[in-house]
Amino acid sequence: MVIHVDQLSKSFDYYKKETGIRNSVKNLFHREKLTKDAVNKVSFDINEGEMVAFLGPNGAGKTTTLKMLSGILYPSGGSAEVLGYTPWDRKNDFKKQFSIVMGQKNQLWLDLPASDSLYLNKCIYEIGDQKYKDTLDELVTLMDVRHLLHVQVRRLSLGERMKMELIAALLHRPRIIFLDEPTIGLDLVSQKNIREFLKAYNHEFRTTLLLTSHYMKDIEDLCKRTIVINQGKLVYDGEIRKINEVMNEKKRMKLTFSAIVERKDLAVMGSIKEYSGHEVILEVERTKFKEYSRMAMDHFPVIDLNLEDIPLEEAIARLYEQPEPQG
Amino acid sequence: MLRSLRKYGFIYSLFIKNSLMSQMEYRVNFLMGLLVETSYLFAKFLYVIIVYEAGLTLDGVPIDAILLFIGTYTLMTGLYWGLFAINFVQIPEHVRTGSLDLLLTKPISLQFMMTLRNVDFGLAIPNVLGGVTMIVVGWRRLGLPADAASIGGFIFFLVLGLFVTYTLFLIPQLLSFWFIQIAAVNDISNGLFELNNMPMMIYSKWIQRIGVFVIPVLLITNFSPLFVLDRLHPGLFLWAILSPILLLGITRWIWSKAIRNYNSSGG
Repeated sequence: MVIHVDQLSKSFDYYKKETGIRNSVKNLFHREKLTKDAVNKVSFDINEGEMVAFLGPNGAGKTTTLKMLSGILYPSGGSAEVLGYTPWDRKNDFKKQFSIVMGQKNQLWLDLPASDSLYLNKCIYEIGDQKYKDTLDELVTLMDVRHLLHVQVRRLSLGERMKMELIAALLHRPRIIFLDEPTIGLDLVSQKNIREFLKAYNHEFRTTLLLTSHYMKDIEDLCKRTIVINQGKLVYDGEIRKINEVMNEKKRMKLTFSAIVERKDLAVMGSIKEYSGHEVILEVERTKFKEYSRMAMDHFPVIDLNLEDIPLEEAIARLYEQPEPQG
Repeated sequence: MLRSLRKYGFIYSLFIKNSLMSQMEYRVNFLMGLLVETSYLFAKFLYVIIVYEAGLTLDGVPIDAILLFIGTYTLMTGLYWGLFAINFVQIPEHVRTGSLDLLLTKPISLQFMMTLRNVDFGLAIPNVLGGVTMIVVGWRRLGLPADAASIGGFIFFLVLGLFVTYTLFLIPQLLSFWFIQIAAVNDISNGLFELNNMPMMIYSKWIQRIGVFVIPVLLITNFSPLFVLDRLHPGLFLWAILSPILLLGITRWIWSKAIRNYNSSGG
């Protein structure tokens, strides 16, 4: 086990201010102090080489958790061990073994070519000359950015810049990589390139990856396991493909009719998700879909019938509403 | 220890190199910066001329010594703004936007990274050259000995002054970890530095005492000239050595509290 998190919590104080200048003046003298539990007693373990997705709506506490695990933030409660270290002790030996990449923050000097920033990282991480040369060579080949090494970073596209950021983060061969929205704002091709790179990198070096992303494709492609948190609390920890099972094993039945069918006649089979007279999408219990298919064929002018799983995004969105941990 | 010092020394040389390269990417801005700072320098020369023409003497210090004081102040202004302030003023911004996050994960002193990462050559070069010129001219006009003891002593107090500058002006910036925006504090601390643009003898005894012993801002540029003019009492000599150590300890203590208070942003 490389990451052990036990009852980790983080709360922030903040102030509320009603609209308008009058309330701004009022706030000068008195502020109502409020506390937000960004992360609330979260516990999980991650083994070496695992690629784990960290999911949750905006403000759920994903980034805050990653920041605690990388030692950026002190927790308000609980404990965590990463590679045997307490992250917020910020020991240099620990820092040399992990990396954090944030899609919205950069470490490269924008006005210089990436090669200069990479060399600075080499010196900061005390990477030997030969090892640096070999690693850089390998990473630029994998990312296909050799020709961009000597271009000023601010002149690179967002996708190219993210590749360079990843190279900067991987130069010291970290054992754990925390990725916070690494593909945010990238076009589909760049997203795919980054995903493929991460997959290949994990395969080759057995690097542990903890990833947050709002793009389901990132999650589905890279991670078997997902941890879902909402409002600071863990609501699911398990395999992604099992999320549907957890969500009461529902299926989607799409029916196309040759003539208009009344909405009320269809409602008996399950909840109606979409309805247009000639077409309907129903959500039905997995155990009953055979019975309902037969019923539909017998009672309505069906010309087409399709069965599919509930889209993952939707299943996860429903998980956000679950009060207790699942999985 | 030695290995660590070598590592930090080398990385600092990379910071200097990277800063210079970054600034030279914007040629017009770089040259304009040099030009503007040189103009300010000429404004400072006007001070000197006015003081000369007024035939002012301060507490028995000959008129030519003004050049030593203002020269040291100008040199220190270049070093302070070029080496430190350019980084210090970014601290509140780092705290507000959370851009400190990635720096915190680097296996190197965060204080080193945050406070010495950038060097502004446009600010430093004209002031350092102008300051050194004034010091050399003043030195010669006063007929001061150009021996190793005098020059070494002058540089020794300059280095101590540089330590005081670093620690004393870093402390107000650290308040941003608690209060985020600290523009008013910045104005006060910049005002304090400006107290040095004239020899400290022009101030009343009480201001001098506060400026030397309570907030030792007057120690920054006055002690080097006072040493070569043989007007530095042994007590002040000792204080000049003690105060940077004391301030360094206070800064490190506030720094560790400040970093613990860091809440990043977003997420």
